[in-house]
Amino acid sequence: MPIIVKNLTFTYSAGTPYEKKALENINLQINEGDFLGIIGHTGSGKSTFIQHINGLIKPQSGEIEIFDIKLSSAKRPKVDLRALRSQVGMVFQYPEYQLFADTVEKDVAFGPKNLGLSSEEIDCRVRRAIEMVGLDYEAVKDRAPFELSGGQKRRVAIAGIIAMQPKMLILDEPTAGLDPFGKEQILNLIKYLKTHCSPTIVVISHDIDEITRFANRIVVFNDSRIVYDEPMQKLFKHTADLQRMGLDIPRAVKVVNALRAGGVDLGEDIVTAEELLRAIINRYNEKYSTQIDESAGVFDMYDFSQKWLTSEERAELGLSTAVPVEEVKEISKKPNKKFGSKSDKKSKLSKKNVKSKNSQQEDKK
Amino acid sequence: MAVLLDNVTYSYNINDTHRIDAVKQLSLHIEEGTFVALVGHNGSGKSTLAKLLNGLLLPTSGDVKIFGNSTLDPEKIYEIRKNVGMVFQNPDNQMIASIVEDDIAFGPENLGVPREEIIERVEWALSKVEMSQYRKRTPFKMSGGQKQRLAIAGVLAIKPKILVLDESTAMLDPQGRKEVLKVAHELNKEDGITVIHITHFMEEALDADRLIVMNGGKIAFDSTPREVFKKYEDLKAIKLAVPWETQMAISLKKAGIDLGEGIVNEKELVDSLCRLL
Amino acid sequence: MRDISFGQYYPVRSFVHSIDARIKILITLMYMVSVFFIVSYTAFFCMFSLLIIIIAVSHVPYKIVFKSIKGLLFLLIFTAIINVFFTSSGNVLLPIKIGQLVITITDQGINFAIKMALRFTLLVLGSSILTFTTTPTELTDALEVLLKPLTYIKIPVHDLAIIMSIALRFIPGLMEETDKIMMAQKARGANLDSGNFFKKIKAMLPVLIPLFVSAFRRADELADALDARCYNASNKRTKMKVFKLKSTDLVSFFVFTALMVLIFLDKYYIGAMVPSPDLGGFEVQGLDIFVYNLLTRVLGYPV
Repeated sequence: MPIIVKNLTFTYSAGTPYEKKALENINLQINEGDFLGIIGHTGSGKSTFIQHINGLIKPQSGEIEIFDIKLSSAKRPKVDLRALRSQVGMVFQYPEYQLFADTVEKDVAFGPKNLGLSSEEIDCRVRRAIEMVGLDYEAVKDRAPFELSGGQKRRVAIAGIIAMQPKMLILDEPTAGLDPFGKEQILNLIKYLKTHCSPTIVVISHDIDEITRFANRIVVFNDSRIVYDEPMQKLFKHTADLQRMGLDIPRAVKVVNALRAGGVDLGEDIVTAEELLRAIINRYNEKYSTQIDESAGVFDMYDFSQKWLTSEERAELGLSTAVPVEEVKEISKKPNKKFGSKSDKKSKLSKKNVKSKNSQQEDKK
Repeated sequence: MAVLLDNVTYSYNINDTHRIDAVKQLSLHIEEGTFVALVGHNGSGKSTLAKLLNGLLLPTSGDVKIFGNSTLDPEKIYEIRKNVGMVFQNPDNQMIASIVEDDIAFGPENLGVPREEIIERVEWALSKVEMSQYRKRTPFKMSGGQKQRLAIAGVLAIKPKILVLDESTAMLDPQGRKEVLKVAHELNKEDGITVIHITHFMEEALDADRLIVMNGGKIAFDSTPREVFKKYEDLKAIKLAVPWETQMAISLKKAGIDLGEGIVNEKELVDSLCRLL
Repeated sequence: MRDISFGQYYPVRSFVHSIDARIKILITLMYMVSVFFIVSYTAFFCMFSLLIIIIAVSHVPYKIVFKSIKGLLFLLIFTAIINVFFTSSGNVLLPIKIGQLVITITDQGINFAIKMALRFTLLVLGSSILTFTTTPTELTDALEVLLKPLTYIKIPVHDLAIIMSIALRFIPGLMEETDKIMMAQKARGANLDSGNFFKKIKAMLPVLIPLFVSAFRRADELADALDARCYNASNKRTKMKVFKLKSTDLVSFFVFTALMVLIFLDKYYIGAMVPSPDLGGFEVQGLDIFVYNLLTRVLGYPV
């Protein structure tokens, strides 16, 4: 069980006129393999919550258990925060604002270096991470991060976290501020990371249509409490309540609800565009006795073949020369960069390294 | 004519050898009172175009005229800036004072407007963006949408005839985007202010009188939103997407279910689906 | 979000908060001057009592006000020690000999040191009451008004005020940003608070570089925003806010003027009026002479 949170409460600036309650009695369990979406309006406590999971904020009361590391308000035993952070990767809002090194390669290497890995291991991880986010390693490694476009910078920043090979990835508003195409690319990247990098992913987003693209479970924060924790398909039974909290509902749900009001009931559990398409096709087949195949409904808002850019233009932009996500798949298929047994060995190795680095702290316990 | 661009090119050096034309030989005119949406992906030249409108950038060649005044004429530059109010992307980086009303008064104070009138303008501007109750507050810790509405109020206090929103919705959540867009449309309808809304969200162009799509420093499409959305294949090729509802109709059509042309919003989609199913 | 108590301002309503910022600045200045002219313990006592009353009226908890001394405690003790060691007049209490160097501790030295420490405490507490009860914005506006005469000698007071106002406006944002970047780097395993001074500086680079980049980006955008809002469009700049003095402002002002006059009297007049009692080399000054005489008379013998 990766994460168990029990009775977590947190108050900012307690005892001053600026006192503000951020979390109240939070209980949550995040399971291995969860693709968890967290929604809630600004100030609902969701950011404070995820900062707890990464040990960036010490719990005031209650406890958190993350991969067998226990966090609580107690001063002792001393928690090995670095070990925690190598397991839980956190991508903050506008992560490109944290880039600081003079080359992309050095910046991505910052995290692994802090874990105390060997230089070969670091090089290997950096290369893999940069390729994983869909950038061409050779083309971008020596470039200054500040020369890259907004979307590329964000990829580099995400690569910096992935290079630490966390078991769990938390992303806070990963698409904020990007143009729709850039958003789409990042969403695809996140889905890709779920299968190829870290099996458990938590995403915070304001945009419900974005969350429903991948989440299998949604947690709703409101006024520093968790009000809903449900499988995605079930959450939108509470449409009225969610709207009362000032939260958006997915467009597909809005359409389904409006259709129901107009006398056409497509059924429950429709949340995404694809599900809506399929439901409409099925209904159409029923009514007109046609045989349209469900899979004929493709909701392709964007064209990712990027045929409008020549390979030279792409090289100039530092983009890899094929579809971002597809391309990464290609790379990972190549035997020498595969994620299979070799990388497993390496991650074991790296764990050893972390251990030896932190053994002193553990001895103290 | 509110805005007239005549064969405008704006180029800058990216390094010692390369020069990039952010805007290429672009000609455009905008009538007073129209609501124009200017859409393009990042790097299409739309923000450069915005900064050319109030003389923050000057054209490398060609001429930009605002109500007949050229931005190249240094004597007219404040006249132009008085007419073209501009709101930028990051709401946090546009406010200069820590108290809302002080910030909104900043523009008219710069212009030497008499004190009584400044107070009137501040009240008017705040009521226009529905933020009157925040007059004495500090913008720190307000939502993005609220801050951006205050930034609009700060510009309104100059009494501009043209309001340019330079990607002002890019950093906001869906709720904030709606708020800002609503205010912009009200200003256009009620006060006859010409609005040039620069965005990369196609759906924000829905209610505009005119949709200009930019690509590679040039105008790719310039028509009503509905007309432009018909060119969805071409839009895709320049990294843009039609609104979600339009895409739904297109996807259904491809699957063999024809809902008819011209679906751009939820109501139209639902109505035609109800009729069909 | 984090614990930001912006500036020192303590947001409650009180009489002290409501006083015009200009008057508060003037009063604080007068108060500071007065503190330097205090000579007698009696006057110190009165001043402290007044301060305590003001703090009570301001509704700022004593604990918070007195905290402002804490940071300066070292400086306070340091100046006191210097005073003790380097005053040679008065009765020698303890001669210290270090090799050739002879340092004497005299009663007068201790007297000076105590008075210096008291002055210092009064100064810090008094000025912190100003910052606790006045928002930074009010302070900037008030300073702009008070410094207005300097425009005649070509000092760009308005531009300076704008700079200050912008600085105040951006400090909370930058603090929040620093916090975010620190968190982000910590999440990448950065160790920001261990090692010696130079190691720490080096470890802070991943925070400082993004912070500078961000500050420059903000500055850039802000410059555009200022231009777009017609900054410098006219020489005849107007001001929306006019300061209107309330009667309470004036009363407070006169109370402190009177206080300053009294303290001057104490130093230059009262002390000179009555001959100081002979206590060896030890000097009794100002009102203290009266208190001394009074005590002697009441008790029947010299203290």
